[in-house]
Amino acid sequence: MNRRSFFFSWAKAGAAALWTAGIAGTAAAVKFFQPMVSYEPPLSFKAGVPEDFPVGTPTLLPEENTFIVRDRERGFRACSAVCTHLGCTVRWSSGDQRFYCPCHGSVYDAEGKVIDGPAPRPLDWYEVTMAKDGQLQVDKHRVVPRDKRLIVES
Amino acid sequence: MKLLRDIWRSYRRRDSVATTKGKLQLVVHSLWLHIHPAKVHRSHFRLTYTWYLGFVSFYLFLILVATGVALMFYYRPTTAFAYQDMKDLEFAVFLGKFTRNMHRWGAHAMIIVVVLHMYRVYFTGSYKKPRQLNWVIGVALLLLTLLLSFTGYLLPWDQLAFWAITVGTAIGAYTPWLGPKGREILLGGHTVGDAALIRFYVLHCVALPTLTTLLIMLHFWRIRKDGGLSPPPSNLREFESPAPGTRPVAVAIPVAPHPGGTATSASARAVAVALEEVSEARAPRYAEDKDIAFSYPFAFYREGIAFLITFALMIVAAMYWNAPLEELANPAKTPNPSKAPWYFLGVQELVSYSALIGGVVAPALMVIALLVIPYLDTRDVRAPSKRKWGIWIFTLVTLANVVFIVIGTFFRGEGWKLVWPWASP
Repeated sequence: MNRRSFFFSWAKAGAAALWTAGIAGTAAAVKFFQPMVSYEPPLSFKAGVPEDFPVGTPTLLPEENTFIVRDRERGFRACSAVCTHLGCTVRWSSGDQRFYCPCHGSVYDAEGKVIDGPAPRPLDWYEVTMAKDGQLQVDKHRVVPRDKRLIVES
Repeated sequence: MKLLRDIWRSYRRRDSVATTKGKLQLVVHSLWLHIHPAKVHRSHFRLTYTWYLGFVSFYLFLILVATGVALMFYYRPTTAFAYQDMKDLEFAVFLGKFTRNMHRWGAHAMIIVVVLHMYRVYFTGSYKKPRQLNWVIGVALLLLTLLLSFTGYLLPWDQLAFWAITVGTAIGAYTPWLGPKGREILLGGHTVGDAALIRFYVLHCVALPTLTTLLIMLHFWRIRKDGGLSPPPSNLREFESPAPGTRPVAVAIPVAPHPGGTATSASARAVAVALEEVSEARAPRYAEDKDIAFSYPFAFYREGIAFLITFALMIVAAMYWNAPLEELANPAKTPNPSKAPWYFLGVQELVSYSALIGGVVAPALMVIALLVIPYLDTRDVRAPSKRKWGIWIFTLVTLANVVFIVIGTFFRGEGWKLVWPWASP
């Protein structure tokens, strides 16, 4: 190994190290833009006392974009109002018992199942529990099967 | 008086523009004007060849920067103030509404003109060797134009803004692998809120305009490096089957000692002669010296008139049409129908059939196709009459976009159902 090739082998190693550092630095820079704190509404929230909700008609909670569904006298469920297609807020039509999305015409039945339109998935159903103060507690972290209800003993 | 004369001379530093030398010096000694060579070919400035679309795109960008910076003096990018500041601009600030109108219509006009410019460049085959890279830069500028419009769309924080961005970013989230994370980083969260507003503001006012400015500079510089504006194909008819090893370098027009001219320095003359020898071999030989004109006044006057017409039209548009401002953004109430900005309505129309194919795959394929066009279409033929297939396909894809945009804009009503535009809701 002469002096020249010795020098270049070290130069190559240096270049490789620089590239590695550059890639790692870029990854770190991307991470900078990923939000670490959120000021969005909490995903777990209190919806109100059971008596607030009429039987048969889903009630929209506008802040949380969630319907509280009381389809039996004592059974409560929570259904996402966010269309699974592109995130518009669906509206309930009591005439034909369906959810309609205004953006691209997706239609869901009362169980959140897709009847028509481009929506790829049914609406999400969230877990409903009873908070200590007697209010319904909805947790959007927990997606549950659509037939899972909170039965409130009166 | 001597002082005033000295000041004036230190600024002017050239002979009278009545002389040949003065005309050359005016261009060559100026940082701004030497964007042009001292002389240009008259045919490149024929209105019916370029329609000045590239110039007009640039002028619109300048108008947008000027009006945009003015609007920044009043606008605060938080959900608490943004909408209120828009109302102030509309009703309280002197010329506020006018400035906002011009910014809004200028943005729409820029998209239309940039697309027409691209179409002209495609139609005349001006993307071909050696201009492939400049076409690619042009595609990047088209995407930046769209992104600038899209990020600006959120800033008024009205219903139109909120839902257009909610839908638009949700389309992007269908991108495999990158989509959901990308949306979260773009919005600074999972919903369109304060974090999204400040991010879009910084992108719209700082990041994207800076990038666009740099790419515009590169775009212009490459025009010169690739031999100037591409000459009309009709001038190149005789060069369409060049001898092997030669290529039509379009506008290496040398600063030749002009018959009517007087003084060029000895070294300049030597350079000119050398250039002429090079260009003898490579550049198209124009029939007559009379086809060559001094950039001043020939080119600059024409460009100045193009700017004045552009500016005048923008003033008229800003005076007669008001930029829309709906009610305050309300995440709980989706307007029905809810539409993306018009230039994305073609995509939204496709998305109403399938979000992944219509919103991600089709647009991505279109962009990729645009990027590779100059590298796949390497035939040395520029005349449109000899590129019928290419022109047909390009025109049909463009028209399909226009048709989808028209359907999305005028024929989609409540619940995205097909309606006649004249049917009252």
